[in-house]
Amino acid sequence: MLGLWVILALCGCCAAAVNKPDPRPDPKAISVHPFTVQRGTAKTVIVRGSGLQGTNGVFAGAAPFHIVIEGVEPEPKDEGGHKGPVDLVRMRVEVAADANPGRYPFRLITSHGVSNAITLFVSELPVTAEPEGSHDSPDMAVPVSPGPVLFAGRLSHRGEADFYRFKAKAGETLTFQVISGLPQIAAGGSGATVPNFDPSLTIYEAGTSWFDPSRLKRIAYNDEPAWVVGKPTDAYLVHRFQQAGDYLLRVEAFAGQGGPDYSYQLKVVPGEKPEDLPPVSRATDDRAFTRILGADRLNELASRGGDAAQHPSVETYRAAAAPADAAPLFKLPGTIVGTIERPGEIQRARFQLDGPRDIAIEVETPAAAPPYFNPVVRMLNTAGEEVATNVFAGKGACSGALTKSLQAKTIVPVREAGTYTIEVRDVTADFGGPDFRYRVQVRPAIPHAGRIVMSADHVNLARGEATSLRVVFDREEGYLGGIAVSAEALPPGVQALAGADFEAEKDPPSFAGKRERYEPRTERAVVVLSAAKDAAPTPRPQVIRLVARPVSRGKLGPVLATKSIPLMVIPGQ
Amino acid sequence: MKRLLTLLVLPLAGTAGERFVSLKTVPAEVVLSGPRATQQFLAIATDASGMERDVTAEARWAVSNPALASLDGARLKAAADGRLTVTAAYAGMKGQSNVRMEGAQITRPLSFTREITAIFTKHGCNSTACHGGVKGRGGFKLSNNALYPKDDYEWIIKGGGYQVLTDEVKGERIPRIDRKHPENSLLLRKPSMQVPHGGGKRIGADSEDYRTMVEWIRAGAPYGGGQGAQPQLVNLTVYPAMAVMPDGGRRGLLVTAHFNDGHIEDFTHQVLYTSNDGDVAAVNADGVITAKRKGETAILIRAAGQVASAGVGVIGPAIADYPAVPRSNFIDDYVFAKLRKFQIVPSALSSDSEFLRRVCLDLAGALPPPERTRQFLASRDPNKREKVVDALIASPEFTDYWTFRFADIFRVSIFSNGLSSKFSEAYWEWIRNNIETNRPYDEVARERISAQGYSPASRHFLPYNQIGPPGEVMAEEVRVFFGRRLDCAQCHNHPYENWSQDQFWGMAAFFSRLFKMGPVVFDHPTNMDLSSKDVDGKIELLHPRTKAVVKPALLDHSPFELAPDGNPRKALAAWMTAQPYFAEAAVNRIWGLFFARGIVEPVDDFRSTNPPTHPELLAALAKDFRGHHYDLRHLMKTIVMSRTYQLSYVPNGSNREDVVNYSRSLPRALDAEVLLDAVADVTGVPETFPTAVTEGSSVGQAPVGTRAIQLRDPDTFFSRFLEIYGRSNRGAVPERGGKPNLSQALHMLAGDTYAGRLEAKSGRLARMLAAGASDTEIIDEFYLAALSRLPAPGERDEILNILSRRGGREAALREFVWALLSSREFAENH
Repeated sequence: MLGLWVILALCGCCAAAVNKPDPRPDPKAISVHPFTVQRGTAKTVIVRGSGLQGTNGVFAGAAPFHIVIEGVEPEPKDEGGHKGPVDLVRMRVEVAADANPGRYPFRLITSHGVSNAITLFVSELPVTAEPEGSHDSPDMAVPVSPGPVLFAGRLSHRGEADFYRFKAKAGETLTFQVISGLPQIAAGGSGATVPNFDPSLTIYEAGTSWFDPSRLKRIAYNDEPAWVVGKPTDAYLVHRFQQAGDYLLRVEAFAGQGGPDYSYQLKVVPGEKPEDLPPVSRATDDRAFTRILGADRLNELASRGGDAAQHPSVETYRAAAAPADAAPLFKLPGTIVGTIERPGEIQRARFQLDGPRDIAIEVETPAAAPPYFNPVVRMLNTAGEEVATNVFAGKGACSGALTKSLQAKTIVPVREAGTYTIEVRDVTADFGGPDFRYRVQVRPAIPHAGRIVMSADHVNLARGEATSLRVVFDREEGYLGGIAVSAEALPPGVQALAGADFEAEKDPPSFAGKRERYEPRTERAVVVLSAAKDAAPTPRPQVIRLVARPVSRGKLGPVLATKSIPLMVIPGQ
Repeated sequence: MKRLLTLLVLPLAGTAGERFVSLKTVPAEVVLSGPRATQQFLAIATDASGMERDVTAEARWAVSNPALASLDGARLKAAADGRLTVTAAYAGMKGQSNVRMEGAQITRPLSFTREITAIFTKHGCNSTACHGGVKGRGGFKLSNNALYPKDDYEWIIKGGGYQVLTDEVKGERIPRIDRKHPENSLLLRKPSMQVPHGGGKRIGADSEDYRTMVEWIRAGAPYGGGQGAQPQLVNLTVYPAMAVMPDGGRRGLLVTAHFNDGHIEDFTHQVLYTSNDGDVAAVNADGVITAKRKGETAILIRAAGQVASAGVGVIGPAIADYPAVPRSNFIDDYVFAKLRKFQIVPSALSSDSEFLRRVCLDLAGALPPPERTRQFLASRDPNKREKVVDALIASPEFTDYWTFRFADIFRVSIFSNGLSSKFSEAYWEWIRNNIETNRPYDEVARERISAQGYSPASRHFLPYNQIGPPGEVMAEEVRVFFGRRLDCAQCHNHPYENWSQDQFWGMAAFFSRLFKMGPVVFDHPTNMDLSSKDVDGKIELLHPRTKAVVKPALLDHSPFELAPDGNPRKALAAWMTAQPYFAEAAVNRIWGLFFARGIVEPVDDFRSTNPPTHPELLAALAKDFRGHHYDLRHLMKTIVMSRTYQLSYVPNGSNREDVVNYSRSLPRALDAEVLLDAVADVTGVPETFPTAVTEGSSVGQAPVGTRAIQLRDPDTFFSRFLEIYGRSNRGAVPERGGKPNLSQALHMLAGDTYAGRLEAKSGRLARMLAAGASDTEIIDEFYLAALSRLPAPGERDEILNILSRRGGREAALREFVWALLSSREFAENH
């Protein structure tokens, strides 16, 4: 057992500086083209990236494919428009016939260590490569045969748009999806600098124009109905064709980019099919409107605070569009549910508080969510005065101007017993509908560890080197315990140490405004991984496991979060 | 024969050989009510052509009962109650007016609000150039045009200096009147120059106005005029609304004041007159206009708190055989009637090629392709013009072009729409969808004004991802949908209009609770405060001067329902789109795009002091627009199917100088985007648009074949051509005014837009050369592509001659195409 428990006191950590290793090329995979392979087939694909010289294998965990490196060469200077040296890794992918379709991340193993992960898609459909040559005009469109089809295409240069020609029957519904080969690859901390590729999709029919008889008529267009940073931007469009005939599909980049990394997968499927989305993170996030506020919520939270005591289950009540004095009553803890059906509708429910208590008000939007449905929740006293709201008013960090944000949780210390009203409405008076559903849970505050973020993606350690991995967690609802972080399954010669790091001092934030009601305190833990000078190099990545648990009242709680990351010890500096 | 008969039956009249057929006095019927009531009369003689001449000064005036009233020239002064007639005699003809007088002997004390403010206005004391300026003048401040008589009264009675940003008084207060010794009052000594006065002598010590002021001070300087509320002046009307006269002619104005109790008074001698263009017509203090030279202008008339205007047209010599001009629709009735009145003959109907090029550029922002031009010119279908208009309006290019136009007006720009190209695109798509589906314009306006949430139209409230100041946001909506600029009233009462600072902030208050939360725009409910000990969350709009909380108020003070936590802008949007201003502003804006000038010009600067050139036409267009459910396509078709629109740009002897009466098509420079697309079309080489704010920082590129007018968010595409030729900056409501400059000339000589295209192997010229086209075929094709016409025989021969003398056929043809693209005929829509 090479793992080492590291328990960090949250106060008074010594600021032991950890020397960073000298800059060494970190293997960085940017894109793979094509990135979709049909199961039961083999395909040669090319990975573009930097620091990939010396690639000798692939680390793909339990992915259902076998990859053989066929060669590595530098990209000729005049291609790609890149600023630094780019390596091309040619590899043969052989996918098992019984592979489940889906997304499979893989990494390259190089003489400098393991790379970041990029994704190969395994499909049940035959993958048709976009034919050679230009397809950026209707007369050069790629023909699409009926039935489910999948194309592996690429926008090779800026401003390129690929046309596809297909037939549709009268009344037929087709689903179109374009998945980008450049998703948010910088999110894993690999430092990739390539801009994301946000694909757009347009359907045309033959048009008539007095000016140009061949001008196409746009009949459908996709772009994200809600554009929110961090959300997928792949193109998805379901269209029912009124008339039988020939149609054209155009694939382009929203911002007109193009180049060797701009690969895409185009899928055309009969009928209305759900969008193929990347797997949703199951990590706890107290501050997301989409988390589920279940009946066992109190116990869930208590366990995250290291509290093994049993709490009652939370009952559900229905709110009503009634005045405060006629609003239905509910008991604490309780979840009130309702739907803002009509624009401007306000729904209410009341509860009795017997004495001073710290209350948590949590909001879930099971259907429409912000920015479409923006549930404003207020807690009012018997005089109709606002005691709490989930609208956080602060000051803009730049301008100092009043800013507001809608929060999924509000903590309010209530000092007076009495009857309180929970009021729910949309922030606008103009919208409502059957999908404007809400669940508002009102309960006693339960101290616990909230969101835990382990941002490390992979670790490459030369012998004698050390590196630090940061674990950030939220102290929710007054949680005063600690977090224990352990690194397990370390290879021989690598040890984990307790550490601390710091950030350069910043000016104190200009915003205030009862911030603690709306934002948790954030703390950091640091694990330092150190390879001994005589540590044996690892020919392949070793999967190590970071584990976080709460420490409260002198006891270690259950596992709250884990993350497996590949680690390699490489020969020398 | 008819003409001869007319000459025989008409009396010989006039003093200079003029022949008049009738004489009338104006007003024909009038009631003089109250003490000191007066009425100015005019005597108007009309000749056989319907032309009027003011003969007030030449006529002999008489009253039927001198015991009841006296005449001072043509001005009647009431002395007792009763009825009488006023008669004017001139050149053997008589005109007569019936007058009833009532309350002539009632004693009514003088009041500040009635008499004194009127004197200030009449003598210009409260004009912006004098004490009505923002800070007043010489330490004495009056509200502009007596908009705030109470404030004015206080400054006069109690003294003190006006402060711009506060209503507090600074320093010692010295009254400007002396009740014990009225003649010693500064209020009198200054304007009569008994003490030095920066504004010079304004009121003579022997004048009636001086005596009125003395009498008022002696009476205790009352604010009101005795018991009860004083009737409020609510409107001014002017006769004639349009004075048409020959060069050197004179014409008097009659100004009538309408009060809120229903009674009217003659204000001809109680107002201030100024001419918008003194070179065309001058006006004296009694409202008598003197024509100076051929042209049009307006006379501005100010009374306390009110502004009005009268148009003046100085016409040239009468045209003996004014031709009959055919009409196509109601637009022509108004335009041609005025042209006839002004003795301007409209140009002939445009040629087919002239019409085709113009209507394609105006409806679709594109030149007609050569093959379409050939078909159109060859067609003998009498309805071919209407058919091509219908085809153009149904074309996707129409949608492109009008999306571009409204993206300009509505400001689609990454910087104006939340700093996100996703937002600006969503907003652009909203506009495009509205154009494509021909959504009624009032619906579009209502949605834009009241947009909330994450909706595409709400993106326009997010310049630099912030909600703009309420005053600015409101002023933009009013400018876009009302065609009016309230901005001046933000800091002070509008100097050229009746808008007060209070009205400005009342309107601004509709936008005062507009807030953003992340990407969501909403109106903050009035029942939510959000203040805390750390953050002042109050959302209140304070009047900048009085510091009072301003509540939403409509411009016309009409009441409206406002839910405590509702969207106040919905009430505003409903009110705005129901106002006459809305339709008038819309049709004027569209009209301006087809005629190079609006009926009110600038198209978004409606005000009493900037009257329309054709008020009846404007009203008729607006009525038609409303009647057709605010259908923009119907409006555009109505405009382009008028003969007025289809007149040739070639002037005739009578309309060469006319630029305001639509007597011919006025050539206007193509907008930068349209010109660039035209160059691409003629050369057959599409433009490429890199996505970059500055040159060389490109990260992407618009798809090949994207036209300049199709760019969703022009700010994100770099184009040297568009910069040089003046694309609009959508940081504010755009005012396009691209003027020729040296950079354009240099770009034309050496820029890629021209030189690069001419050498392109994929271009029209290269293709024709490769296909073995003759010089004549090439010349004809490029003429059709660029000018929508074939060269005149002389032109073609001259070009062929030049080509034959030049060595290197391809190079010579490139020069020919360059010359064509550099010509004014190409760069203009005419």
